[in-house]
Amino acid sequence: MVIQLLVSGIAVGIVYGLIAMGMVLIFRTVGIMNFAQGDFLMFGGYFAYTFNQVLGLPIVPALILASLCMGAIGILFMRTSYWALRGAQAKAIIVSAMGASIVLKEGARLLWGSIPLSLDKVKEGSVTIAGATIQWQYAAIIAIAFLLMLLVYVLLEKTFIGYIMQATAQDQYMSSLSGIPVVVSIGMTFALSAAITGICGGLLAPIFFLSNTMGATAGPKAFAAIVIGGFGSVPGAIIGGLIVGLVEQFGGAYISSTYQLVLIYVVLIIFLMFRPKGLFQEKIQEKA
Amino acid sequence: MLQKKRIHPLPAAGAAVFALALAAAPGFASVYTVHVLSVAMISYLCVLSVYVLLGLCGQNSFAQAGLWGVGAYLAGNVLLKTPGGSAAAFLAAVGGTALVAFLLGFAFFRLRQYYFTFASIGLMTILNGIFMNWEAFSGGAVGMKGIPAFSLFGWTASTEQSKFYVIFAVCLAATALILLLFRSALGRSFMAIRDNEMTADSMGINSLLTKSIAFAISGALCGAAGALYASLSGYLSYQSFTYNQSTIYLIMIMIGGTMSPVGAIIGTCVITLLQEGFRSLQDYMQLIYGLGVIILMIFQPEGILGGGRALYERLAKRREKTEAGSV
Repeated sequence: MVIQLLVSGIAVGIVYGLIAMGMVLIFRTVGIMNFAQGDFLMFGGYFAYTFNQVLGLPIVPALILASLCMGAIGILFMRTSYWALRGAQAKAIIVSAMGASIVLKEGARLLWGSIPLSLDKVKEGSVTIAGATIQWQYAAIIAIAFLLMLLVYVLLEKTFIGYIMQATAQDQYMSSLSGIPVVVSIGMTFALSAAITGICGGLLAPIFFLSNTMGATAGPKAFAAIVIGGFGSVPGAIIGGLIVGLVEQFGGAYISSTYQLVLIYVVLIIFLMFRPKGLFQEKIQEKA
Repeated sequence: MLQKKRIHPLPAAGAAVFALALAAAPGFASVYTVHVLSVAMISYLCVLSVYVLLGLCGQNSFAQAGLWGVGAYLAGNVLLKTPGGSAAAFLAAVGGTALVAFLLGFAFFRLRQYYFTFASIGLMTILNGIFMNWEAFSGGAVGMKGIPAFSLFGWTASTEQSKFYVIFAVCLAATALILLLFRSALGRSFMAIRDNEMTADSMGINSLLTKSIAFAISGALCGAAGALYASLSGYLSYQSFTYNQSTIYLIMIMIGGTMSPVGAIIGTCVITLLQEGFRSLQDYMQLIYGLGVIILMIFQPEGILGGGRALYERLAKRREKTEAGSV
């Protein structure tokens, strides 16, 4: 039982961590929390469903195609809901992202209907280790998540595109002076963020079922992961996601299943009270 | 320095005409319309609470629907389980919610800006979980049924019209109080915190206490809205008091404009009209609503009131210029 919960907690948690990482990438670049990230998850899941169930592709190419489509959605989102408002106050951008979230949710309902859907697992069946039955899907999620993290690391730290994106995140004005097309760079960041989150949707769908409110339940958990891990820190987001996932699974099994969601936020608030800057603290002090 | 604010004749007249038209509405509108207006006015009270917190004090909270729920369940409990009657229920809802908000604010406002916003999302989810599961207080998943209508000194607001006037009176009183707050020393210290918290601290404003008071005032408004909602609908379910409802309040104030209660009125009206007007489109209603929010934010990031004010000032400047030119 413990091993089972541990594996499912890590698998679900690492997905929350990846969603949180997507938010952190956007936050570091434009300084805005993306309130529509959960809906990227849902939309990615639906794209994977279309490629997998409607067009009959195997699940892995379906996930890759879904992430490419989500990249396009990410750029579209950036052009409509962020770029047009970049000069305005942060709260206006938050509200436009909420509008976009409604549009994505309703768009998904109109396109794919409101009946919960499911798609193929990456690998069917389960394996028994030390008396615990573990679904292969959980193991696959953990493996794919690590692969994704490695890819993002290589992209950001070892390639030219990554350097451009990091430079833009550090100082938009300075990087525009050194000849970086800022709009392209920010667009790439949104695309990357949406693509990662979209794959997560395809991975979670066989476990939780696909519905247009999927993002609304996963999004706030990713927020919790970001705060627990430390604002603006990528490793913090992953660790925070793991903590949220483990609390959710173990708390649901041992403490109370009705208060499962409440438990996560109690942990969040405890973190905020005693370690308000998260596990990986921001290095910059508040300026007047 | 106290600056005497000039009252602009045009907006003041507009507000008076609007209030009179609203007061006359039950005379000719259908029962359904009156009900929609009553619900809209309850939303307005919650949006006003966002105005106090975000517009005056610069703090963004997603817990307003949770506080609204606290008020509603408090009123419901007093009405169903004690002989106190409506007035006691109303006072208990307003006072109780304000107290809850003050204590929570005192704990949470150690966190700044984004961190507070996140804590408030957590608070919202926790409150919703409590409404859903704590059967003794909220009736659990079944909800709370049979809450009596508002009554005072033997008079009962039994029809939709009379309920409308009760809510209308509370809205007028709340608006007047918030306008007074805007001109008070407390209101100015809210605005000092909004503009720069560190500077406000260094000028001797206790920012933690002041922000908690702002949260308590917004809690009192939500509590009043909750008590009115409890006796308007007679039935409470945890599904009304969700995070989504809180985001709708934020969208309303941002659409209207965060600089004045008039913005709250405009926002509530626009969103209610959008939701009611596109009801005939059924499936596409929510989609159009979402697109409308994005488009409004792109063209009016300061809200409709902000756009209107900019236009008014530009016209005034042009008039001054032509007057100066003719002399």
